[in-house]
Amino acid sequence: MGPSIQYYCPCLSGFPVQTPPPPHVASSSASFHPLHSLFFCEECDAVRCNRCVSIEVSGYYCPNCLFEVPSASVRAEKNRCARNCFSCPICRTTLSVVASDPPDEGDGRSSSVPLSTVGEPPFFLYCNHCRWDSAEVGITFEKPTGLAAQLQKFEDSAAESLEFERLKEHFEPFLRTSSLSSSSHLPSVASHHMHTSSITAAASAALARDIPGVGKYNPHTRSRAGRDRTVNRDEMPEYKSRVEVGLFSQLGSGGDEGDVEFLTHIETAGEVAKLEQRWGNSWTTSLKTSDLRPLRIPLHSKVSKRCPTCRHILIKPEQKAQSVRYKIKLVAANYLPAMTVALPSPQSGPDASRRVPAKVPAAGDEKNFTLMAGKSYPFHLALTNPLYDPIQVRLSVQRMHVTASTDSTAPEKARRTPFAVSLPTSSFPVAAFAEAWEYDDDEDMFGVEDDELGLEPIGRGSKDRDGRGKVKTVGVLERRANVTVVGGEVVIGKEARGHVKFNMLVSYTYRSDDPLPSEDGAGTPSRVNAKAPEVKTFTFYTVIDLGPITPREESKVEADV
Amino acid sequence: MAPIRDKFTIHSKAVVCQDVELKGDITIGPNTVVHPKATIFAIAGPIVIGAGCIIEEAAIIVNRRKEVMRIGDSNLFEIGCRVESPSIGNFNTISTRARVHHTVRISNYCVIGAACLVVPTEDESLEDYTTIYGPAADRRVWSGRGRVQEADLRHKHAEYLREMLPKFNRLRRGDGA
Repeated sequence: MGPSIQYYCPCLSGFPVQTPPPPHVASSSASFHPLHSLFFCEECDAVRCNRCVSIEVSGYYCPNCLFEVPSASVRAEKNRCARNCFSCPICRTTLSVVASDPPDEGDGRSSSVPLSTVGEPPFFLYCNHCRWDSAEVGITFEKPTGLAAQLQKFEDSAAESLEFERLKEHFEPFLRTSSLSSSSHLPSVASHHMHTSSITAAASAALARDIPGVGKYNPHTRSRAGRDRTVNRDEMPEYKSRVEVGLFSQLGSGGDEGDVEFLTHIETAGEVAKLEQRWGNSWTTSLKTSDLRPLRIPLHSKVSKRCPTCRHILIKPEQKAQSVRYKIKLVAANYLPAMTVALPSPQSGPDASRRVPAKVPAAGDEKNFTLMAGKSYPFHLALTNPLYDPIQVRLSVQRMHVTASTDSTAPEKARRTPFAVSLPTSSFPVAAFAEAWEYDDDEDMFGVEDDELGLEPIGRGSKDRDGRGKVKTVGVLERRANVTVVGGEVVIGKEARGHVKFNMLVSYTYRSDDPLPSEDGAGTPSRVNAKAPEVKTFTFYTVIDLGPITPREESKVEADV
Repeated sequence: MAPIRDKFTIHSKAVVCQDVELKGDITIGPNTVVHPKATIFAIAGPIVIGAGCIIEEAAIIVNRRKEVMRIGDSNLFEIGCRVESPSIGNFNTISTRARVHHTVRISNYCVIGAACLVVPTEDESLEDYTTIYGPAADRRVWSGRGRVQEADLRHKHAEYLREMLPKFNRLRRGDGA
């Protein structure tokens, strides 16, 4: 893995103080996310991540046939597609319905007789990938339509399914009365809380029922709070299970002796169904591969996400399952400059003129070269401005709290100054984003005039700085269109270990046209036409990982090579 | 080692495009279709391809052994596969980018799934209806149900290609033609 950069979401810090945890702490990775997974709330002016947004389902659909399932029938259809979508129990490919072969002439070459397109019954499900077919487990159909309904019969007749239905039936009157009684007794309690309490009551009552082989636990001795709950519980008739628990193994749904018997006689590992093949099942199934059945394809859902503080929608997909677009999409990539970090190839580097990448003993990864302790390396940061306005960016490295990172196992010296990072200290501009067709000619692609910068003269293309005598490492290296490349340098200490990983504060100023237009569905801030533009600054943290440091000892070995 | 002597025997009803790479002693049976950019190398022994096979683009068929490499009828070699098996029966499918080593003999109705590597170190022979699939090259035995329809489809596929390919490609004729 090459050098990487991730963006910080302050949701775990608990404060509006946006100081991220030190990057070398393992837990810090939970606070940093790749830019494409982040959202941006315009109301709060803050970055939001998948961890902090609240999620609501906006629709269910089958990923195979893209049928939108009304939420009312999702439960009845047990979260699976009720049309003709099945996945292969062996390899999970979508199964197709095929007709049976016509009577064979023996040599299998009926090519002279064209087959009819309709096909003849019985029909069965067939996997094009692993050539499993449902006739192997005895499932065939007379008609090639409405297969799910035909298969659901099997599912619904499963012992566990019947038992579950019975349990639901058993608890239903109780749930109804308890919700009624608790609403009359406890009017002050919030409605959803009451709902959960009645369910927990039902569940605890179910748990307290007499299980054969388990010592009876007297529920009356439990000091349960709330009188009415005990009253409710007393109303409950005793639940009688359909089958004894011990009988389940005989029904082919797994159990002790049957499985042991089977396992002692297996000849190949393939006879036992893999975990992946079994855990998509709704109920426990037998261990045997030969018993696996086609599964109706589980439904997917489309979700919309809301900002946790202001409840505004951050992202909302279009309702239609076929559509991959969004009605609302406030992603961070449209607001924050996208950054990529790169270590320039060693050939162009100042101190690594003759290092051949292939000879480097890369410690398990395929990078061009490794970072050696006791050396300094330049790196490039490319910032891409997504806004329609130019921005001024200032970068600063967060000071490392070395004392906080004291690792008892590491030598004290190694922890002291692992590395020092230098970045351009002054702010630099990144030109505005423009659509490709807005560039009149090629010259415009390079956008802004370099003189206006007030910095040292800068080459326009990368060619200008490669291979020339004077190579600048820190500062703005390149500007074209809405991308600015800045160089930094990292000096790695002699005894350094671990990763070159540091937090970097990025703040950028832009002209804002407050209030932001609300009809902006695409999520990109629209062009500024405001008369008196207000300048705003937004600040966020990132973590940059340049890669692991190769300790000193190995670097000596490499010098000999 | 003597230089490879080219000798191509192409049946008059076969469709072999001009832009295929042939080397060595190769016999191509009737109604077989070889797409452009396919490669057939008879490095050591000759290669004999039966009737009604389809060899798609960038497929590579190599015979490294001295014996004749016999490929039966109605086999499908999909795009970018590489096959070196010394013998192949009938109605097999070698899927896209699959690779079959010279240690494997393929009988009939076998399917080598996309991108599967079949590279056993010791000689083995795949039985009829063997299916190899998935990233781990798992095996199972196909029941054979649907094989008549598949053979029919293969036949139509080849028939269509025999009709269409000559419209857009120059064809190669055998040495005799």
